[in-house]
Amino acid sequence: MNPTEIKSNILTTTLESAINWGRKNSFWPMPFGTACCGIEFMAVLAARTDLSRFGAEAIRFSPRQSDLLIVAGRISIKMMPVLIRIYEQMPEPKWVISMGACASSGGVFDTYSVIQGVDQFIPVDVYVPGCPPRPEGVVEGLMKLQDLVGEEKLSDYSPA
Amino acid sequence: MSQETLISQLKEKFPEAFLDITEFVGEKILHLKSQNILLVLTALKSAGYNFLADLTAIDNLTLGGFERFAVSYHLLCHETAERVTVKAYVSEENPTLPSVESLWKTADWQEREVFDLYGIIFEEHPNLTRIMNPDDYEGYPLRKDYPRLGRKERDDFPVVDRGIQKKKPLE
Amino acid sequence: MNRVTEQPIETDKMVLNFGPQHPSTHGTLRIIMELEGETVTKATPEIGFLHSGFEKLGEDLDFNQYITITDRMNYLSPLCNNVAYALAAEKLMGLKVSKRTEYIRVLMCELSRIADHLLNVGMLAVDLGAMTAFLYGFRLREDIYDLFEIATGTRLTTSYTLVGGLMRDIPDGYDKAVIKVLDETDEVANEIETLLNKNRIWQDRTKDIGIISKEDAISYGISGPMARASGIDWDIRVNEPPYSSYEDFDYDVAIALNGDVFDRYLVRMEEVRQSIKICRQSLDKMPTGDVSLDPDLGFSLPPKDEVYNSIEGLIYHFEVTMPNRGMTPPVGEAYVPTESPNGELGYYIVSDGTRTPYRVRTRPPSLMNYSIFSKLIEGHMLSDAPAILGSLNVIAGELDR
Repeated sequence: MNPTEIKSNILTTTLESAINWGRKNSFWPMPFGTACCGIEFMAVLAARTDLSRFGAEAIRFSPRQSDLLIVAGRISIKMMPVLIRIYEQMPEPKWVISMGACASSGGVFDTYSVIQGVDQFIPVDVYVPGCPPRPEGVVEGLMKLQDLVGEEKLSDYSPA
Repeated sequence: MSQETLISQLKEKFPEAFLDITEFVGEKILHLKSQNILLVLTALKSAGYNFLADLTAIDNLTLGGFERFAVSYHLLCHETAERVTVKAYVSEENPTLPSVESLWKTADWQEREVFDLYGIIFEEHPNLTRIMNPDDYEGYPLRKDYPRLGRKERDDFPVVDRGIQKKKPLE
Repeated sequence: MNRVTEQPIETDKMVLNFGPQHPSTHGTLRIIMELEGETVTKATPEIGFLHSGFEKLGEDLDFNQYITITDRMNYLSPLCNNVAYALAAEKLMGLKVSKRTEYIRVLMCELSRIADHLLNVGMLAVDLGAMTAFLYGFRLREDIYDLFEIATGTRLTTSYTLVGGLMRDIPDGYDKAVIKVLDETDEVANEIETLLNKNRIWQDRTKDIGIISKEDAISYGISGPMARASGIDWDIRVNEPPYSSYEDFDYDVAIALNGDVFDRYLVRMEEVRQSIKICRQSLDKMPTGDVSLDPDLGFSLPPKDEVYNSIEGLIYHFEVTMPNRGMTPPVGEAYVPTESPNGELGYYIVSDGTRTPYRVRTRPPSLMNYSIFSKLIEGHMLSDAPAILGSLNVIAGELDR
């Protein structure tokens, strides 16, 4: 490789690690809590297990101002259009954590009106199992997402 | 007056409405035909049973009974702390019966739920539309011949087009 | 000459969607409001965004398996749901449980009642801007979760009761842990009341808002703390034949007379204090005994060490759980009302003689309590809507089932 190529590649990797460091340490979550997992998510935000030590303190209930969608709870057929609309309203870059068994795969409810897994319709990055998951489990899921974001490259994103 | 005397008075007053009176584990159950239900419940309400605790329906397809559907009302009397269950039998060809929303306002939403899940129509209800399922849903889920897994409504959504292409991590 | 003429301001009607995704609606509720200026003229609630088919599931799972599903209805106080379902199934089959089982069930129900009321008061405070009460309440809820975890194994979805007994007995030394948490609860209740009771802003935002009259309460089927705040003296533990040994305990029932949001808050805080009293009494008088039924009756599972170490235990275990064997309940139906933190929670079970129930119906207190909302909000301003909604304690899992 000639010297100009080496220099531009070094600059890009330092830029990527700086951008990823900024993104992963300051998620702005958007909780989409519907059922029991929503109550456990409130316990994650409360005093004992504190999510703001990971930088995820600014809970804005508006999708246009957040970048992490946490789907917590079972999604029924009446609620799915709402979820799709909220996902489409979030600007890029965005990630999705599917919290609990019901959001990941339908959970205990194999019936006519519960969606068997949100990942059939929206792309999910991290699945957190449990019914409901312990708050420490949600924190572990967030840390895994931080690892994933830390290894992203600028060339991963390309137009459709 | 005690519950026994009240029930025998009602049976004398409306003899053509009663199909049966049974008792199970200490609870009295009155089995009625569907047309006269409003008269009997009005009489019960004026005799002291002022609280409608629950309104629901049962599909008797495999259990057997007088007709296919039974709408059951659970009443409570605040003065004597007694409860009674009233069941109105509705046939499959003509699933209609009068609404009790004029007696108790709580019957409004509960009758809508019975209509949504069983398809039983309540006459003179102010707003008989679906309440639990989406408005364009077809079928009545809690009937015994409707499958538990549904008829593919839960797979019927569009996959979201993200607008960009993002590479998945290889692991 | 100065003449000030007043002209009436003409406003247009606006339709606002208080959507299914909103921080103030606790769960997935949708209200379509017509506003004129800031005053609400008409509000139409729409429900069903969490409908999961609980009642259809009940026809495929057997009597003991359905207890795991009942947790997920009222997820703020799941132990009350378990106890109510077990009582209905036991009445249907004519079973009698031991005294120790009943006292432990009472202890768990009252601890859940404390947790539920504290969370409800906390959410009402957060919606009106007082965030400290929420944090105090949640810190105490974590301690109560620790107690549940020691006894049942999990924090939230406990599935603690079985038809005819309990899953397992409470460990030794449990009463010391409970008494420590009860002392803390007393202090936290005092702190919350000090912050809120005489607070000028709290009183302005909650007094004379959302008044329910006595006749309306009976006609709309309202029960529990909401009915008691309107002056109706009805508590199922006291006025109806008591269930699960509630007649052995000595406690008072709190009633208020005005029926507004402030009264409902006061009734709930007083119920927290009465629940602490009942918990202390149940620990003092706890009888000794066994918490599971005799396995010869064929209704409940034998204890695990017998299942693994003796052949009779293994055979009884299979007799109860295999698909073509198991319990044979009588053909009939039963309805048992209990006093849950929200109101009258009852289970209506119809059985056809097989090992799965024919129909399981929950009488949801949240549905009846929520149906009066459209009448309460008319004439009030938009910012009173979170206050009224918070005081109704609507839980979406129970509302939609």
